[in-house]
Amino acid sequence: MLTLLARDLKLQFRRGELLASSFVMGVLMLLAFNFSLDLSPDNVAALAPGILWVAVLFSAGLAAGHGFVGERENGCMDAIVASPLDRGSVYLAKFTVNLLLLLLFEAMLLPVFALFFELSVLPVLAPLALVLLLGSIGLAAVGTLFALVTVGGGGRDLTLPILLLPLEVPLLIASVKITRVVMAGGGFPWGDGWVRLLLGFDLLFVVAGWLAFEYVATD
Amino acid sequence: MTTVPFLYKTESLLMRVLPLPVTLGMLASLCAVFWWVPTERVQGPVQRIFYFHVPSAWCCFLAFGLASVTSAAYLWKHHRDWDNAARAAVETGMLFATAVLITGPIWARPIWGVWWTWDSRLTTMLVLWLIFAAYLLLRAFSGERDGGSSGARFAAVLAIVGTLDIPLIVFSTRLWRTVHPAVLKTSEGGSGLSDPRMITTLILCTLTFMIMFAWLWALGARSLRLDDQVALLEERGDRLAMATGSNTSTGEATV
Repeated sequence: MLTLLARDLKLQFRRGELLASSFVMGVLMLLAFNFSLDLSPDNVAALAPGILWVAVLFSAGLAAGHGFVGERENGCMDAIVASPLDRGSVYLAKFTVNLLLLLLFEAMLLPVFALFFELSVLPVLAPLALVLLLGSIGLAAVGTLFALVTVGGGGRDLTLPILLLPLEVPLLIASVKITRVVMAGGGFPWGDGWVRLLLGFDLLFVVAGWLAFEYVATD
Repeated sequence: MTTVPFLYKTESLLMRVLPLPVTLGMLASLCAVFWWVPTERVQGPVQRIFYFHVPSAWCCFLAFGLASVTSAAYLWKHHRDWDNAARAAVETGMLFATAVLITGPIWARPIWGVWWTWDSRLTTMLVLWLIFAAYLLLRAFSGERDGGSSGARFAAVLAIVGTLDIPLIVFSTRLWRTVHPAVLKTSEGGSGLSDPRMITTLILCTLTFMIMFAWLWALGARSLRLDDQVALLEERGDRLAMATGSNTSTGEATV
């Protein structure tokens, strides 16, 4: 499993195109929001968490399908599935790679976000990073599970964001809520229902993905 | 092609038995809703849409529940009949979910003053509709390319995961609403059923919708089964034509 993880990480970083395209996509979304929402210092605090998360959600949704593109091109997926590794581990390796990429993408996007909307994220960086981490775990878990759909190619690339977004609704609501509390300087709201919801979502989808991979990746 | 006898028999039974009860039940329901049941005092005649709105919602939950159970059976047994049963359940469920989303705003507009409000139930229904719309899109896209088997597996996972997601969606939208109070309190149904005739009508409509759902599901599953059989026969025909075109003796052996 670690070998697979290391291999995937190496591949992704060597190419780097996925990360770059996600980043550009995220910046473009921030730009689009800036123009379409007519932001001013009065409303930016209320709108910014939503903007950040929608940008992350859509960029992650679009990028999710590409984690397996390389595998499709050279039939590598068959080899991985045929290997003696149990498929749950394949899922966990893929999930970890996606999570790391997502976190890296967010680390790149966050300064731009702060710059564009003149927000001071530095004082709240630690709790904000925690929200982003928890949200990303859920996103990576759902994304990895359904990214396999695109391995077949064809119109399925198109379906992926359509599959992901409705499932991610609870995650979006919870993350935005927590982010708003955090950015207002309230610290990380540990006992909050939203945090429990987010943790529950993460747990549910990591476990579901791990179990389901057994059945989805049979060929 | 082998069949799952239990499913085949259930479908056949439902298809044979249900048309008459559904027709009679629907006629009786219409009579009850439009003539027999008294008009609700506060809301007026528009409240009568309730007798179709609520049974539709219950049927759609039933359908999506059935879809996730049959999907799980498909992942376990890998038999196409279970997949067809799940797909038919989703198709029928989407019908009822769409009915809920259409009758809801028609009712909401005169009573709440808005077509739509981001209330927990409304949001949940919409998200549910989107998840299963994605299911049908996935089915449409995955098509026949690989015998539909991987598409069927993804769809089954989606149906199960989508159903698991429902409690989270309900919880999140409820919590969300309490933070942002809705414009209007929603006490759908529950409070207004003062007259016993209203309860009788609701029960009648619910039963009618349930058997209508069962009938539609059986028809859907049967038509998917027939699709499979047609595809299989075409394939056999092609193979036979190819075999007889080149070499008759081996052609006979493969069929």
